[in-house]
Amino acid sequence: MKKLGVSLLAMTVAGVAHAADMGAVDEPIKLAINEWTGQHVTTHVAGEMLKAAGYNVEYVTAGMMNQFQALADGDIDATLEIWSSNVSDEYAKKIDEGTVVEIGDLGLDAKEGIAYPAHVADLCPGLPAWEALKECAQVFATAETLPGGRLVDYPADWGTPGADRMTGLELPFKAVPAGSEGALIAELRASTERKSPLLITFWQPHWAMSAYDVQFVELPAGEEACFNDPAWGPNPNAVNDCDFSPSRIFKASWSGMEDKWPAAYEILTNYQLAVEDQQPMMGAIDVDGGKVEEVVAAWMSENEGKWRPVVDAATQ
Amino acid sequence: MTAVTEIPAQHARLSTGAQAALITVIFGALCLALEGVAPWLVKWPAAWELPATQWVGGFLDWFLNGIKPAMRLFSDLMTYPMNAANFVLGNTPWPILIGIVTALGWYLGGLPMAALGFIGLSFVLASGYWAESMNTLALVAVSVPVALIMGGAIGILANEVPRVKAFVQAALDVMQTVPTFAYLTPLLLLFGFGPVVGLIASAIYAAPPMARNVMLGLERVESEIKEAAIMSGGTRLQQLFQVEIPAATTQIMVGVNQCLMAALSMVIIAAVIGGFNDIGWEVLLTMRKAQFGESLMAGLVIVVFAVVIDRMSGTLATERKRYDSRVVWAMLAFTVLFTAAFWAWLPNPSDLTVLDPMATAIDNGLTAFTQANGPWLDALKNNSLFYVLLPLRIGLDQAVLPFTWGFAWTPSMSYGLFAIGAAIALLMAWRGHLTGGLVVLILIGMLETGISNLPWPFVLTGAAALGWVAGGWRLAALSVGLLCTILVSGLWERALLSLYLSGAAVFFCAVFGGLIGLASAVWSPVWTVVRPICDMLQTIPLFVFLIPVLMVFQIGEFSAFLAICAYAIVPMIRYTRHGLVNTPEEMMEAAISSGATEWQIMRDVRAPYAAPTILLGLNQTILYAFAMLVIAALIGTTGLGQSIYLALGQADVGLGISAGAAMAILALIADRMVQGFAEERRKALGL
Repeated sequence: MKKLGVSLLAMTVAGVAHAADMGAVDEPIKLAINEWTGQHVTTHVAGEMLKAAGYNVEYVTAGMMNQFQALADGDIDATLEIWSSNVSDEYAKKIDEGTVVEIGDLGLDAKEGIAYPAHVADLCPGLPAWEALKECAQVFATAETLPGGRLVDYPADWGTPGADRMTGLELPFKAVPAGSEGALIAELRASTERKSPLLITFWQPHWAMSAYDVQFVELPAGEEACFNDPAWGPNPNAVNDCDFSPSRIFKASWSGMEDKWPAAYEILTNYQLAVEDQQPMMGAIDVDGGKVEEVVAAWMSENEGKWRPVVDAATQ
Repeated sequence: MTAVTEIPAQHARLSTGAQAALITVIFGALCLALEGVAPWLVKWPAAWELPATQWVGGFLDWFLNGIKPAMRLFSDLMTYPMNAANFVLGNTPWPILIGIVTALGWYLGGLPMAALGFIGLSFVLASGYWAESMNTLALVAVSVPVALIMGGAIGILANEVPRVKAFVQAALDVMQTVPTFAYLTPLLLLFGFGPVVGLIASAIYAAPPMARNVMLGLERVESEIKEAAIMSGGTRLQQLFQVEIPAATTQIMVGVNQCLMAALSMVIIAAVIGGFNDIGWEVLLTMRKAQFGESLMAGLVIVVFAVVIDRMSGTLATERKRYDSRVVWAMLAFTVLFTAAFWAWLPNPSDLTVLDPMATAIDNGLTAFTQANGPWLDALKNNSLFYVLLPLRIGLDQAVLPFTWGFAWTPSMSYGLFAIGAAIALLMAWRGHLTGGLVVLILIGMLETGISNLPWPFVLTGAAALGWVAGGWRLAALSVGLLCTILVSGLWERALLSLYLSGAAVFFCAVFGGLIGLASAVWSPVWTVVRPICDMLQTIPLFVFLIPVLMVFQIGEFSAFLAICAYAIVPMIRYTRHGLVNTPEEMMEAAISSGATEWQIMRDVRAPYAAPTILLGLNQTILYAFAMLVIAALIGTTGLGQSIYLALGQADVGLGISAGAAMAILALIADRMVQGFAEERRKALGL
């Protein structure tokens, strides 16, 4: 199935594929709008592409974690930015059931890692090299983590990658789960404003990366062997003694979409968005206060070459 | 005076309390002594746990899939009124809507109410969240009738068939104490995605107050009225609908008011699922970006709705005079003319940004505050954690470390502490306060061990003892039975963590809320300041508190503790003040004429008289604290709240419902015990 998708992609890019059927043009295609701005940009670009192809599009707000039931029921037709690092078990269940299908990578080059706001480098000289954290743990210590330092980890329902790194690398840090993305941002904001120490698990693309000048700690490269073979890496006795494995960002649709709107399905399957395109749009919205619709419309008209071929390949 | 006559009764009861306390002390001492020999006494072995969450999950999956088709049909039906309400509210030009609300305000309460409606809606307009607010209103407009019908039917059923009354009461308690987050996942499965889920969730939460008030209203219909209806030969249905329900209207209207408020407070929770671009979703989005100013503005929109709806529907519950309906028509006519005349110039409400500078200013203010006050706020947090919260959670024996207290805890210190406790207990027993002495000993033991490390047999005995004193052996049996279900389900440790955090918060709220209530009662300017703050704290979406607390105190237990306190302290303040203010005149006069000083009156007359009311306030504070525990999980706490949130994310129906049930169990037991004590006080006072 996946192979087929890849070869299909190769064919359309080569311009060999012939136009797909438009399907039920009169019925709106419902795209999920999740809780974060990057996803809004991704979804609105895709929606505009579908509109350019002649479809009606409806944007439906949906909680990231709760959208898969809706996707399985066809209440939502596609969701376009799923992070492999942060996807609920329910997604796997729905994929097994066959009610939800994956429709390829988005092409966003994501990075997760242990990070800190730039001013922290003054408090812990030696950063961004990870070895510096061994000596600096005291700087990051708080009441709850004494004698270790404090690492603000992802919310508990996203997994505990930060804690795994600390154990793997034998760093004297205790991971504290954040509870929500808002809590992570509040930590970054408070630390930047008060110039207080902070070590945090974070990711990009994210608008806060530039807003709070967030830097990643340099860890040994996250190779496959690191997660299976304790001998690999600086700590010979543990796995996870390295950076995060690269996370994948992909799209998914309701299983009935391919039959109902074949051309739209093809457009969404082939749709790609790069970090260089998404991040400035996020900044224009979150930092400069622009509206998603306007920012996306401006980008669409300036970068027609980046999306028009995908639409044309499916419709002409 | 009643306060004097009840003393013998108290003495007779002391022995029960002393017995209960004695048994608890013996059990606690046994557990401590056997700690080394039998570790299973302290920590419930994992091998004894039943995979209850899986069973619950499996059963619910089967059950939910069975009734799914019927529910989906209902869900489809509900989309019609939903869409209709949405269409009407979304397409009515804003001046007309403001005009209608202002006119309604005039009709219900004259000039003040009209002004309230006008100013309130103007604020919503200025905030730029008009469209989102209309979506929210549409949701409330559909969910409230559903809740009213549901609640009314339950109330009438309980009235007509007395046998089911006890069951209905229990069911209503469960509906109100199981955290909404816990049943969002199954609802999602049942009703499909979309606003209907939010609608059902808020209807479930809003129906119980209606049902309770209908039951109360029908109960209180005077027997002469009922007899007259019987004598005039009506059928039972005629008696009910033509005589009894009209006679109970005032009480039922209180239910309508409470139902509206409850539905509105649930809107924000329903937004977590999404499917609906409402004001709750806006709060979530801004909260995700840690924009305090913006999220406060969005939150205030909900507060405005709550205040307007509360005050307007509140007039329905009181006897009211009629206001001139010609004014109503004049207002409506003016609105229509205004809209028609300025149609082309009406700004799109979504483009209004009048309040944006205010939001930015608030945000900057928060920044300035955290920057300026960082050091002492950190010191406050660290000291509270080191010397209060940590010892409470893990006990002095683990919390006292050279890093924090400057020395290490040794076993001999534990023995010393127990010896001091025993000495105090003996001294107090000798002075005639046996129960008090034993309780002190128990508390010292708990402080040494830490709440999260309490041996389970001790917790069970303690709960049984408290239950026995508060409400007899039935309550004791109920408490132990319910706690055992948590024990075997493997949620015990998380339940203890939740108990510790909410317990600490309740204690703080009881002391400080009580003091603020006292101050408000004796000196009315305090109340003038405190009252609007209480109103705001109760209706603003709880999420909004989290940002400033996090900015100042960072992720962790202390932040969660403060967030819980901010919400749960309100009923304590309100009830304390209410109880102290409403001392009957004749008692006051008797006290004054006997020459008592102000302080003596407070201590010997007003305080004892207010005790049952204050206990009810404590009861509400406990329930509020548990409710906030789930929200506090967003800051990153451990315990049941986090499990519920995790389950929602992972769509784990079994874990969500089990953790929700465990939380409801803790809340229910606490509720029953406090009510038992309140009942006793009331009897002692002859009320």
